[in-house]
Amino acid sequence: MNQVPFRKRAWPLWVGAIALAAANVGMFAFMRAIGVFPQMSMWGAQVYNLLGVKVDAPFTIYPLTPLLLDVHSMINFGIVLGVAAAALLSEEFKLRKEHWTGYVAALAGGALMGFGTVIMPPCNVGGFYSATMALSLSGPLTVLGLLPGAYLGGLLMKWQTQRAVAALDFNAMPKGEPVRARSSSAQPLIGAAVSAVLLAAAGYYASAGLTKHAGLLLFGALFGVIFQRSRLCFTSAFREILISGNGTLMKWVLVSIALGTIGFALLKANGYQPMHFVLPVGVHTVVGAFIFGVGMSLAGGCGIGVLWRSAEGYTRAWVALLAGMMTAGSWVLIYGKHVGEGWLYGKPVSLAQYGGYVGGTAIVFLFLAAFYGFILFVEARKRERA
Amino acid sequence: MRELNAIQVGDHHYQVDMRGWVCPYPKYAVEGLVRKFDRGRLDLLVDCPSATEDVPKVVKAMGCSVTEINQIGGGEWQIVIMK
Repeated sequence: MNQVPFRKRAWPLWVGAIALAAANVGMFAFMRAIGVFPQMSMWGAQVYNLLGVKVDAPFTIYPLTPLLLDVHSMINFGIVLGVAAAALLSEEFKLRKEHWTGYVAALAGGALMGFGTVIMPPCNVGGFYSATMALSLSGPLTVLGLLPGAYLGGLLMKWQTQRAVAALDFNAMPKGEPVRARSSSAQPLIGAAVSAVLLAAAGYYASAGLTKHAGLLLFGALFGVIFQRSRLCFTSAFREILISGNGTLMKWVLVSIALGTIGFALLKANGYQPMHFVLPVGVHTVVGAFIFGVGMSLAGGCGIGVLWRSAEGYTRAWVALLAGMMTAGSWVLIYGKHVGEGWLYGKPVSLAQYGGYVGGTAIVFLFLAAFYGFILFVEARKRERA
Repeated sequence: MRELNAIQVGDHHYQVDMRGWVCPYPKYAVEGLVRKFDRGRLDLLVDCPSATEDVPKVVKAMGCSVTEINQIGGGEWQIVIMK
């Protein structure tokens, strides 16, 4: 094997898991936890309004705001810039075109994620990862929808691959010249320039007195770098448990949630934003999560996943992103009310209601242990069959 | 239907081009590919970074080996599989 320089080496999963938990606790202490889809649904509503269709943003706490002034959108912009910088510095950026079937899958997947995010709410990382850390009852329940949803989407992808492989005939292949490696690229230089743009933008916001904007932009970039380098993909984590019988990624996500839960519980127990990321819970949690789960598999990434892949140059992710924001952005037109209002949604329930923050944390740990145990069971079954 | 772009490079030496197939397609495909070719060398071209880690794991689990992972361009790799 060739020696791979450090900038090109992927980070171990444990590093990603710990860094992600630390970043989420840090960003919560600064202002808020990670979650990206509600902002993007506001972007979708903005586009409708620009086109002359009057519609309110689906999440009342993410009202219609010019994108460059919206503090929450700074996380998304930060992720894009952070991922782009990391991908370019490691020479992993490429403008990746897709087969037309891939764009159809992205369109369908993005639309399903758009609906899933307003029904669940919100997205995979916000609704499962952050919400569980925040002791929201909804967080653990999303697994009941995300897991089978991601499995179904994964089955479709596996079936498509198997058909393509079955059509190959190694005895009747055309002869050809192998692809040759190209010489070194300018990607690291462009990556350095993107990093400079990121720092300049954060500096500009800070100098204008918008320190929260500057902070969230930098936190977003930190998340982007962690995701891109550790390849801690939540979609893959959910999908591969049942598709491949491999739960390595999800086990590290669960460790990350365990670490983050302690930080969130300590902050909340001291009276800091006790209801932050405590979300409505009901049948809609599971139904929305299932729709979202199928969508994220087809799209090739959840909310953060498509932002991340978009910044790596995946045109499939661009389509999914647009489809997701336009679908979610139309929710008030379709449903007539905002997310969390009306017959569809239950009330937010904090697990701290059951025995305070110690009791709530204990419930989250029990859930994490049960999910971890389920993964070990699936992996053991897979080994038995092999 | 989406088809795989594959060529024979030499005697018992093949190249399957999966550039443009996002993850997890390469990981799902390699199991069938390794099973299908009788022996020799298979160069799998990919352009999703995760495949450089996922594909070797699947290949090793099937008792074959990945002898090289070469970056052939920005965001593109050649994974050399021996059977």
